[in-house]
Amino acid sequence: MIEVLLTPPLNMVQDLGRTGFRCHGIARTGAMDRLALAAGNALLGNPPDAAGIEFQLFPVRLRFTRDTAIALTGADTMPRLDGRLMPPWWAVSVRAGQELVLSAPRRGMRGYLTVASGIDVPLVFGSRTTHLRAGFGGLDGRALAEGDRLPLGDAPAFTPRDPAGLGARPPGDVLPGGEAPDAGPGDVVLRVIPAAEYDQFDAASQALLWSQGWAVTSQSNRMGYRLQGAVPLRRTELVEMRSHGIVPGVIQVPPSGQSIIQLEDGNSAGGYPKIGAVIEADLWRIAQAAPGATLRFAPCDAAAARAAERAAAAYLGELRHLAGLGRRELGSAA
Amino acid sequence: MNSGVMELAAPRVTPCGSAALLLDAEGPLALATQQRIWSLSDAVRGWDGVVDLQPGMNSLLVVINPLTADAEAMAARLLAAWSRAEPRHGTGRLLEVGVVYGGEGGGDLPAVAAHHGVEIDTIVAMHAAGEYVVFAPSVMPGFGYLFGLDPRLFTPRRPVPVMREAGGIVSIGGAQANLGGPRRSDRPTASPTGWHVIGRAPEVPEPFDLGRDPPNLLELGDRIRFRVERVIR
Repeated sequence: MIEVLLTPPLNMVQDLGRTGFRCHGIARTGAMDRLALAAGNALLGNPPDAAGIEFQLFPVRLRFTRDTAIALTGADTMPRLDGRLMPPWWAVSVRAGQELVLSAPRRGMRGYLTVASGIDVPLVFGSRTTHLRAGFGGLDGRALAEGDRLPLGDAPAFTPRDPAGLGARPPGDVLPGGEAPDAGPGDVVLRVIPAAEYDQFDAASQALLWSQGWAVTSQSNRMGYRLQGAVPLRRTELVEMRSHGIVPGVIQVPPSGQSIIQLEDGNSAGGYPKIGAVIEADLWRIAQAAPGATLRFAPCDAAAARAAERAAAAYLGELRHLAGLGRRELGSAA
Repeated sequence: MNSGVMELAAPRVTPCGSAALLLDAEGPLALATQQRIWSLSDAVRGWDGVVDLQPGMNSLLVVINPLTADAEAMAARLLAAWSRAEPRHGTGRLLEVGVVYGGEGGGDLPAVAAHHGVEIDTIVAMHAAGEYVVFAPSVMPGFGYLFGLDPRLFTPRRPVPVMREAGGIVSIGGAQANLGGPRRSDRPTASPTGWHVIGRAPEVPEPFDLGRDPPNLLELGDRIRFRVERVIR
């Protein structure tokens, strides 16, 4: 078990999300930073879709009731295991009774805890992820609260060869991203494929989509990020849209002209015009962009998006391989 | 019909990022077209690289694996399959729900009446006269998007979403109607919406219950009628 000793609201059990049930209006609602969750699972040798915990608010204090191995990925939450600071993107063995404290990250937004064999809450529609708005999945369909006890999968059959643990290079240091000519230092560049209503915007607005910075407003969460640009975007055809299915990453432009990026807990369908959609391989960058950050959009096409997806898959594959070499099976002579 | 709503002369498939394609059907919103959307959704479900499907109003969202699927080839295949799609019929179930129009729960009713320049009672009568067909899954597990709104009740969505309390919401958004499930203690009490809430159904049944098999009360193609319980002016 993991005992939750202290947590603010909105920290939840998440995996890579629920697929195959959009016929009921059930969208993915998985981890915001899918790459961080998958990297944590790769460090531990877990299946990629093993459930972990997504932390959005801090401080957090947890206690482990049995020996296991854990990884901390995503934003650097300055994890302290019994007071001892762990490096970011790191996996270690823990002993029963040890306490883990996570603090608000100085950079980034969301931290992820993965555990050997995963968090063993029941599967609902094929996933352990929390569907907060519908009230199912995760731990009783809700965010974690003090006093909760999270069941763990089977005990790990390994320990890191190096007692100090083993780490991963954060994807931000390794994976190439998009490029925007006007991006300032610290701006988050997201690759975007133009979507169905791109052509309904006037030429000036199409140019502005790519050229101006988009500030992440305080009205930004797992449902979506409301952005603020200096100049609102205008459509030349003001026709009403019919409701249609949408996915995380879709950039909608309501009549206000300020864009909204729909994210994991967003509605499964929408009716605002879509000027574009952030490619899947860049969604984790949004997850780590805090209110106040500036987003930049860079045009992308299907081929470049697939190349980005392959790069992320190669990163995870290599991490899984190297982490496997860095673990010692328990009970083996080595 | 549906003045001011986008209408295509020919079907089209556009990318929705790197992990989804959207097929928009040609022509106006119509039962016959939507029945073909449902059957297309069934046909595509087994394709390699397809991970999820969601019918929309006159459209089908196809979620694909961005690593393995070839979006361009899939788009062409989807268009070809659409041209061959035959209608699929619903089960024909009918649900009737009583509605309290206006008042605190239906606070947007006066504004909708003012927008159309008619009396509140006229809006209520037109809304309750229709028989609505469940056309597509909605934003959340629920009753889905309904077809059958009197075209004269077309009301553009809000420029900016507003917060509205959950619980039996009866609303209009553009040319569409919607019915929300009951309020539950384990769900958020309010959600953002660009729709106009004109009433509440106090006795609305739970549309989606995991303890039920199947969990959904209505399927695509099933029907809903609204009964005027009371009008608060």
